[in-house]
Amino acid sequence: MSNTLLSIQGLTRRFGGLLAVSDVSATIAKGELVGLIGPNGAGKTTLFNLITGFTPPSDGTVTFDGQDVTGRKPWQIARMGMGRTFQNLRVFPNMTVFDNVSVGAVGAFGQSPWRALVNGGARSRAVSERSWEALERVGLTAQAGDIAANLSYGKRKYLEIARALATAPRLLILDEPAAGLNDTETAELADFIRRLHAGGVTVLLVEHDMGLVMGSCSRVIVLASGRKIADGTPEAVQRDPAVLEAYLGVEDDAA
Amino acid sequence: MDVNVPDARLMPDTLAPPAAFSGRGRRFAWTLLLLAVAFGAVPAAIVGTGSSYLAQIAITTMIFVILSASLNHVTGTAGLLSIGHAAFYGIGAYAAALLSTRLGLPFIVTLPAAGLIAALFGFLVALPTMRLVSIYFAVATLGIGEMIYVVLLNWVDVTRGPMGIRGIPPIELFGWQADTLLSRYLAVAVIAVACVWVLHRLTHSYYGNALRALREDDQCADSMGINVERLKIESFVVATFFAGIAGALLAHTSAYIAPDNFRFMESILILAMVVVGGLGSLPGAVVGALFMIVLPEALRDIGDYRMIAVGATMFLSILLLPKGMLAEGTALGFVRRSFSRGWATIAGGTPVGWK
Repeated sequence: MSNTLLSIQGLTRRFGGLLAVSDVSATIAKGELVGLIGPNGAGKTTLFNLITGFTPPSDGTVTFDGQDVTGRKPWQIARMGMGRTFQNLRVFPNMTVFDNVSVGAVGAFGQSPWRALVNGGARSRAVSERSWEALERVGLTAQAGDIAANLSYGKRKYLEIARALATAPRLLILDEPAAGLNDTETAELADFIRRLHAGGVTVLLVEHDMGLVMGSCSRVIVLASGRKIADGTPEAVQRDPAVLEAYLGVEDDAA
Repeated sequence: MDVNVPDARLMPDTLAPPAAFSGRGRRFAWTLLLLAVAFGAVPAAIVGTGSSYLAQIAITTMIFVILSASLNHVTGTAGLLSIGHAAFYGIGAYAAALLSTRLGLPFIVTLPAAGLIAALFGFLVALPTMRLVSIYFAVATLGIGEMIYVVLLNWVDVTRGPMGIRGIPPIELFGWQADTLLSRYLAVAVIAVACVWVLHRLTHSYYGNALRALREDDQCADSMGINVERLKIESFVVATFFAGIAGALLAHTSAYIAPDNFRFMESILILAMVVVGGLGSLPGAVVGALFMIVLPEALRDIGDYRMIAVGATMFLSILLLPKGMLAEGTALGFVRRSFSRGWATIAGGTPVGWK
């Protein structure tokens, strides 16, 4: 299974008596664009945090690119090539757009005070070029010198994506990127994500917006009450009675 | 895995790569100006007036420039509010004083030793406290600061307690003794400029960007691949190292130190310099130190009212310039432009990135 990029096995997380994520297994192959959906409280965010190392699992394993990363710290996992964005915009507000993005590149290249002291040189140039490239991808080069807090909401979303791209991720996890965007903006974003994917980036899209997921992803994983209830093509998932039940509830008169 | 530009509508008209940065002329202009003040104008004034009072103020200013610039590194840039900086200044001063008076070690040894011993204490303090955030970290540094002060005051066998340590030899390098006003000032100024240069290289770089990211949102920096805990410890160790260096300079230039030089009020004074100058701004920290040392002296004529005037000036400056006299954003742009540390200029002439 050398084509598998991310594999989670029996992932479980308890918070006291609450079973937030229960025995979830799934794989993502290189080059896929996978959606992860579920109603509010389904455990999407917890699962996200388990994969990225923010929350240690109570049980189960996370394997990334053939290596067991369970229990590793977020920065270690990020440096292995797992880039992410945040649901509630988290740019570095008092830093410029360019400096924001550079943090992703610095994380990927590593940093040390000695290098800053003795010679920035080649390493600094690599960080600069990587950051500029990421800004070009999202189309924010004209704002490179602006303070991030002054950007519009929509542009800050792209800034977050650029920062994640600057880490040169092999897997890019987007946490509800469409939250707070209007229909036109969501359509533009969908277009952007599809192009990103077409360019070779493996994407896991954690979303609430059904349209975005169903229209873009080749495969959709559905969570409900902490369990995986479906995993398949958008068409198959949309017809799945378990998914309909989770989203719409059981029809009383059927009983 | 290259992706083409995603969407023409999203693309502004600056597809061309930015112009490589060329600011060599201006860099030399500013560097020369600063060096001319530190090694030309001030020494000329000291020699010209022959005033030991003026020399003393110049030396004190240089020492506080190191303290303020180093506190800015950890508090302004990395965002860890430390209110015990004077304690590490004290550790450095006592280390230099004891090593030279008890063991007869020369300045060339006591200076780095003072920095390293202060940094070692900084490291030991940082290890358990780095998990604390904001005000909790501040309270921890306050506690450590008071603890160190009380030890200096009461460990009479070693520190001679409130009597302090006398007869600390002056700065001496390979037989050259800094025993005149001018040479004392010059020795301190050379070291202070070197310290500021090191802090300049550290903060005005992508390493500095990583430190600023810690301050802005450490969890987010973590998920960008930044080793948050290590960077926080590093920034605290660097800051305490330079505080120790400043302490050694105080010990060797004043010949006498006592615990009262390193009280909580000193920590607050250093913090005020950083805040008045501009949190996160290295040029601001230097200007803040100048302002807070020189202003009270300049106002000596109005006697006891001068501290009220100083307080009022601080209050007004923070009210009118809440981001400090040289705000971080302005200062970073200035450094990129005038010291040619930027990577490139984008359309509109704004410098971006670091060299």
